[in-house]
Amino acid sequence: MAKTDNGIRICQGLLILGNVVIGMCGIALTAECIFFVSDPHGLYPLLEATENNDIYAAAWIGIFVGFALLALSILGIVGVMKSSKTLLLVYIILMLITYAFEMASCITAATHRDFLTPNLFLKQMLERYMKSDTDNNNDKQMTEGVTKTWDNLMLQCCGVHGPLDWQEYTSAFRMTHNDADYPWPHNCCVMNTRSEPINLDGCKLGVPGFYNSNGCYDAISGPLNRQAWGVAWFGFAILCWTFCVLLGTMFYWSRIAY
Amino acid sequence: MELLGVLLALAGMDAAAGLALLPYVPRVAPGAMPGKVTATTFVLERPRCIFDPFANASDAVWLAVAFADASAAFKNPTSSAEVPPYEGLPTARAYMTLQMAAAAYGCSAPGAAVLRVGGDTACHGRAPCNGPLPSPGPYRVKFLLMGCGGPKAETKWSDPILLRRARSLSTIDPTPARRSSTAVVIAAILASLGAALAMAVLGAVGTQLCVPLCRRGLGAHLPYRTHHVPPALPHTLPPACVCGCTPRPPGPCPTK
Repeated sequence: MAKTDNGIRICQGLLILGNVVIGMCGIALTAECIFFVSDPHGLYPLLEATENNDIYAAAWIGIFVGFALLALSILGIVGVMKSSKTLLLVYIILMLITYAFEMASCITAATHRDFLTPNLFLKQMLERYMKSDTDNNNDKQMTEGVTKTWDNLMLQCCGVHGPLDWQEYTSAFRMTHNDADYPWPHNCCVMNTRSEPINLDGCKLGVPGFYNSNGCYDAISGPLNRQAWGVAWFGFAILCWTFCVLLGTMFYWSRIAY
Repeated sequence: MELLGVLLALAGMDAAAGLALLPYVPRVAPGAMPGKVTATTFVLERPRCIFDPFANASDAVWLAVAFADASAAFKNPTSSAEVPPYEGLPTARAYMTLQMAAAAYGCSAPGAAVLRVGGDTACHGRAPCNGPLPSPGPYRVKFLLMGCGGPKAETKWSDPILLRRARSLSTIDPTPARRSSTAVVIAAILASLGAALAMAVLGAVGTQLCVPLCRRGLGAHLPYRTHHVPPALPHTLPPACVCGCTPRPPGPCPTK
């Protein structure tokens, strides 16, 4: 009798430990996803305009899954300590639902990250930056978002691969700004404290030191990659751990007598 | 007589031209500048010192720009009034621009080391106009030193300069090359874990429900709690009596 008692105690201890870890991971997941959703780099308008902002949807799901994991882990601890079959059954069913949601979030973040290619942002920048004839309200809003974001980005860089993007392709910008005065937008020029180019002629020629010569793709893809991989990999780790804890809980549940 | 006429004509031409051909070849400015050739402008290196032997203080240096296939047919203007204007480029296939004092090309002249052709977008109708070039070209250029009496010196024609031609943005293909293997790995592992969990839950719940049903099906009894029943103590039988048992001790039987 003592042996099975010890076995039960060990099982309970392990399950409680597992649930504590799940609770803490839930809090961490919520915090991470809130950080991503708050968009500290201001890149959300670019994703919104591509109509492919599923990695933001994945982050939103992650916030709620984190809360759910915290609550369910407390329920699980109580159920294990009381050895209550009803509580543990409720725990298992709700955990499975949360598991399904988190699976969806992880897979979405991982697969949609692949869509964020340089060409996607290049085409969007050329089509929407400073576009003057917008079709409807939605188009206008997306255009304004893209223009504002790129104006911000161009303080440090120019174009997606470089300033020559503006020369190599036609664009909506080129419709309203002639090539001789604006080989690339003046926002690409190095500015002084009053937001004026320090040497406009040097900037138009492309003299080093008067314009931003590097492309913006790194500044865009770095934060977005970190977001996508953060949600995907951390969620994956949580799910692997939860899988083990759930299996243990089901085993414990089936051994409890009514 | 005819030979004399031809000789006189040749001498007359030379005298009228008085033109020195400088060996300098104009070229696009060297150096790493992405804006040196755009769709409507290009940047030339500014030649220094080459006009000094020929120039007076009042002379001006012009830049002649012609389509590459029209450069051979270009005729130098005889005076400043006959300079082909910028607006005549589509028909005359050449024009002259960038009129500057010869001192600007002197050996120690200050100013930028480059000349931008096509950089002035606000000079409509005002001669000389350095307006943007209307087509990608190719173009050839040469410098011409003009005095009061006509051209005094010229450089050679440059190599053909081809301007940029922008591609349509609809040629950009934003679809990714291939799905990354990481996404496939995550999706596969998570799907299999989810399926395993679902199986495990179904199995656990199923065995819990099936246990009573399965045993009944085999004819076993429901498990029930057995109470410990103590063996019954023998009751003390009433004393033997044949007629009308009363608790009194047996006495003689009443006779009927």
